[in-house]
Amino acid sequence: MDIMNHLMQGAAVAFQPMNLLFCFIGVLMGTLVGVLPGLGPTAAIALLLPVSFHIPPVATIIMLAGIYYGAMYGGSTTSILVNMPGEAASVITCLDGHQMAKQGRAGPALGISAIGSFIAGTIGIVGVMLLAPPMAKFALAFGPTEYFSMMLFGIVIIIYMSSGSILKDFMTAAFGLLLGTIGMDAIAGTQRLTFGVLELADGIGFIPAVMGLFGISEILMNVERVVATTLVTEKVKNFLPSMQDMKESIRPILRGSFFGFLIGVLPGPGPVISTYTSYAMEKKLSKTPEKFGTGHIAGVAGPEAANNAASSGAMIPLFTLGIPANSVIAVLLGAFMIHGLQPGPMFIAKYPDIFWGTIVSMYLGNAMLLVLNLPLIPLWIKVLKVPYAILFPLILIFCLIGVYSLNFSQVEIGLMIGFGVLGYFMRKFKFEMAPLILALVLGPMMESNLRLTLLINQGDASIFVTKPISAVFIAVSALLIFSTMIPSIRNRRSKFKEKLGEDDM
Amino acid sequence: MKRNDLIGGLFFLSVGVIFAVYARSVDIGTLDEPGSGFLPLWAGVLLVLLSAALILKTVFKKFEAGEPFFPESDSWKRVGMIVLSLVAYNFLLKPLGLILVTFLFVAFLVKCIFPQTWLKTVATATLSTAAVQLIFVSLLELRLPKGLLGF
Repeated sequence: MDIMNHLMQGAAVAFQPMNLLFCFIGVLMGTLVGVLPGLGPTAAIALLLPVSFHIPPVATIIMLAGIYYGAMYGGSTTSILVNMPGEAASVITCLDGHQMAKQGRAGPALGISAIGSFIAGTIGIVGVMLLAPPMAKFALAFGPTEYFSMMLFGIVIIIYMSSGSILKDFMTAAFGLLLGTIGMDAIAGTQRLTFGVLELADGIGFIPAVMGLFGISEILMNVERVVATTLVTEKVKNFLPSMQDMKESIRPILRGSFFGFLIGVLPGPGPVISTYTSYAMEKKLSKTPEKFGTGHIAGVAGPEAANNAASSGAMIPLFTLGIPANSVIAVLLGAFMIHGLQPGPMFIAKYPDIFWGTIVSMYLGNAMLLVLNLPLIPLWIKVLKVPYAILFPLILIFCLIGVYSLNFSQVEIGLMIGFGVLGYFMRKFKFEMAPLILALVLGPMMESNLRLTLLINQGDASIFVTKPISAVFIAVSALLIFSTMIPSIRNRRSKFKEKLGEDDM
Repeated sequence: MKRNDLIGGLFFLSVGVIFAVYARSVDIGTLDEPGSGFLPLWAGVLLVLLSAALILKTVFKKFEAGEPFFPESDSWKRVGMIVLSLVAYNFLLKPLGLILVTFLFVAFLVKCIFPQTWLKTVATATLSTAAVQLIFVSLLELRLPKGLLGF
């Protein structure tokens, strides 16, 4: 079988000691980040980008992917023990998880979220394995016209799904496009818009930009308030859920995995949405819906499974189309590009070792997490006791030296600080970060594809709506934009957004 | 909120203008042969139009009292101090060297943002400086500024 061969090839990559080590570092860091409130997975991946400069591409991708799905595991720990989501995708877990902890059942709550996450992670990876290659084949028919339309669609759908005002989202997307044009023009080979700054000749550094926008600005937001946390401190024991718990949880886990995966494949803040969907679905299907919110184990199992499956699902558009589904994946895409890798339809065929190696490492990572997570919970509890007052200077130091270590450039540190302040004001003024970062990553590719299309077709822009695949993307994008102008849909959308209210995913 | 949208709108409006103006200094090209300035110009124009729409929308909106800019009375001090110390780090890194500047930076923030005891301050600063030296200099073998201390 073809797929078996590929898996063997992937295993050969993933089991290399070096890659095993980085997979381990990734899931450990991811869990740590997930556990710590006030440091999202986007910021964490951004933080580790400079380090990835010094290790080979496969190891980088394996490590960064590990952070991403590791964070999904870790987030639940904080939700359950502190009633404070470690990251956006675990908001829902607070509802029943913390109630369970209050009733002295923190152990089974943590246990079931680890088991649920493991099952979901595994189902998600099988899904990626089966769906990604045919998807890539389909996308092989794409030319510059289709690419441009698809990227436009990617940005529109992020805007549609994001929680802010559509108008402001389009502004930040346009701003991202502009930032992406600074520096070298890939087609003409000339410099532009460097505003006389020598260091901008290669463009705005992606790493200083994301570290500022996500790392620094998050800290500036967090230090505004003095927050005291209440930890459920009594000894957590009996991680293994009882048979009764398992019986109540297995269906929610399977349903959560399945729907979470599908939601993850679609562009948008998949992991976050999938948890709400799963919780609502379980409540509707349950014979005892009144038990939800009082420490019902199904209310932990379903959403925790869903967010893990969704984070695997988001790998499909990344690997096959080169389109990031959300801002975490956008930063991951940035990491690919730093290593000169261009995800897209050709990627799996061109770099089978990286794709299948990453897939197999995700299996391994999930197993590591299951084994790691429960025994390490006492350690995570200790981590949660480190006050933010001591934590945030360490994160800042890591940002500063990380950025400096790239090119030993003070201008880049300055850029990072500038983006940090910009990101702080954007958060304050409710401008979303996701459209900006997506447009910044996709911008240069969109520009090349747009200019190529116009060049090939002698300036005839109607080609975008006459080629069928491109026309579908454009039509759906237009439909989404117009639908937000219809009052009834707009109201429903804004109600849904209020529930989400998070920009990190 | 009204004030926030107005400031945001004006900021992005000026960004759009700057890019559109600068884009004209490079080759814009034509529709059948777009040049370097093509996208910057039109994305800049788009940003200007969108920002103008936001500003207009805001101007005609009734005034509503929103949250104050800072949630606590001394929030601005903490935010300001952090930004300033980041800038100071950037300028002092070369003259003082990695070890000294890292120690001072961490110690300052731990002691002054959410004030901790001196013991915790010195311990955090020492340990983090040692960790930085270990990870970035010993493990990753980066050539970071040695500065005053000479190592």
